[in-house]
Amino acid sequence: MTAAVADVHDDHGPAKGFKRWLFTTNHKDIGTLYLVFSLTMFFVGGAMALVIRSELMTPGLQFVHPEFFNQMTTMHALVMVFGAVMPAFVGLANWMIPMMIGAPDMALPRMNNWSFWILPVAFGMLISTLFLPGGAPASGWTMYPPLVLQTGDAFPFLIFSVHLMGLSSIMGAINIIVTILNMRAPDMWLLKMPMFVWTWLITAYLLIAVMPVLAGAVTMLLTDQFFGTSFFLAAGGGDPVMFQHIFWFFGHPEVYIMILPAFGVVSEIIPTFSRKPLFGHDSMVYAASSIAFLSFIVWAHHMFTVGMPLSGQLFFMFATMLIAVPTGVKIFNWVATMWRGAMTFETPMLFSLAFVFLFTIGGFSGLMLAVAPADIQYHDTYFVVAHFHYVLVPGSIFAIMAAAYYWLPKWTGYMYNEAAGKLHFWLSTIFVNLTFFPMHFLGLAGMPRRIPDYSTQFTDFNTMASVGAMGFGLSQLVFIYVLLTSKKGARATDRVWEAPRGLEWTVPSPAPYHTFDTPPKVRVAQESFE
Amino acid sequence: MRNDSEQRKNIRRTALIMGGIAIAFYLGFILMGVLNA
Repeated sequence: MTAAVADVHDDHGPAKGFKRWLFTTNHKDIGTLYLVFSLTMFFVGGAMALVIRSELMTPGLQFVHPEFFNQMTTMHALVMVFGAVMPAFVGLANWMIPMMIGAPDMALPRMNNWSFWILPVAFGMLISTLFLPGGAPASGWTMYPPLVLQTGDAFPFLIFSVHLMGLSSIMGAINIIVTILNMRAPDMWLLKMPMFVWTWLITAYLLIAVMPVLAGAVTMLLTDQFFGTSFFLAAGGGDPVMFQHIFWFFGHPEVYIMILPAFGVVSEIIPTFSRKPLFGHDSMVYAASSIAFLSFIVWAHHMFTVGMPLSGQLFFMFATMLIAVPTGVKIFNWVATMWRGAMTFETPMLFSLAFVFLFTIGGFSGLMLAVAPADIQYHDTYFVVAHFHYVLVPGSIFAIMAAAYYWLPKWTGYMYNEAAGKLHFWLSTIFVNLTFFPMHFLGLAGMPRRIPDYSTQFTDFNTMASVGAMGFGLSQLVFIYVLLTSKKGARATDRVWEAPRGLEWTVPSPAPYHTFDTPPKVRVAQESFE
Repeated sequence: MRNDSEQRKNIRRTALIMGGIAIAFYLGFILMGVLNA
């Protein structure tokens, strides 16, 4: 098998120098570009988080002006959501999906190059607003009018950069759908596809449906600001609440765009380190599809306090609670996969286990927020901040870390430093809980979000959270150490781990520049895993 | 099998359908704003 897929294209391998990266159409190169960009944005967004947590370490104003604090909360969210988490999953998709389905590359390689190179332009433009008169956007990542229309010179930069991020995501999603539907190896039927591929297929459909909705919303903001329309301006007969409906019609599926690929990653890793096939593969597919469908009909749970008819509150409350059912199917399937498995606890497995446990905590606080009358108390408090950070940090970001450790030997050809990986895991897990768990108590006690100062009764938990955030930030330097020393370990075998399944483990480590020029025989590969 | 014209046609068709859906959602939501205003 290995010989059949070995690099037979030495005559047109990678170009040399910066041209390789600027003009590349190779899915592995583009995957690497996405992952490096995402890691950079993770540190930029993380630095912004540390500005926020430094200011909140003690009551009173100490380091930054309140206006700059608002800019930091807005930019931290935009950078982390669109610059760190989403590109990381697109990078993993670029690297792994063609290899997992036995395709030689993505279906539309030139568009793939464009999808990536739009991103640095978009974020260069967005981050440059920090240096403009009036500073960066400060109205929150939700960009609610009329507040966002008070943004200074940064406003058109914000709108254009959001358009570009959307364009990049849509082109990436089209590429992924087209690749999966048209370029699978002959025996790779849809229900045989690995869960990472399935979750990405569903995610790509979500992206195509909702990124244009965000683009439409910000286009209307642009015309309200500069072309005299009144889509969202009450004075001109417009409706600011309509923006919130449109934004959250995008925003809620966006949450699942950031978590479904994480489900896919965990569904690859847990079977490998439990030495058992994934329990209930097909039910996982149906559960992910159900979550995607339900994500379209729950958006108004973000706006219970805006006011809506009782029937609306009941509908959105129950529809939201319904998501717990397919999510529960997934959690129980992961647990059933581990049941009586010969488990070992290498770094990817540790991150995956922490994901299952800590994401579930975030899920439960989500259920609490779904209860309309209770949400009116929780709304705009730190309880919400605790909830979404639990699903995004020990949720999405831990899954990205797990994926990086899991596939790193396949990418580099060397085993990473396992001791450093475990240190990274334990420090991250301790500090992530120290950062975000106290925020539940702050929220329940009534501390509002997005403020640079607070009442002295909230001091202790805020200090804990700030110490935790700084510890979490420093812990990530261990990950940089692992990456920098990633070619100093033992040579990785083709299979890398003891019991992985999937076509990507049939190619050599490191994966050759071109793989699967000849379609692989899926059945033969599968028999080799038995 | 891989690079035959049938596969290229399918790739192009799928890409166009997906791009069309994206454009329809974009224009559709702006139209909703126009009708609501």
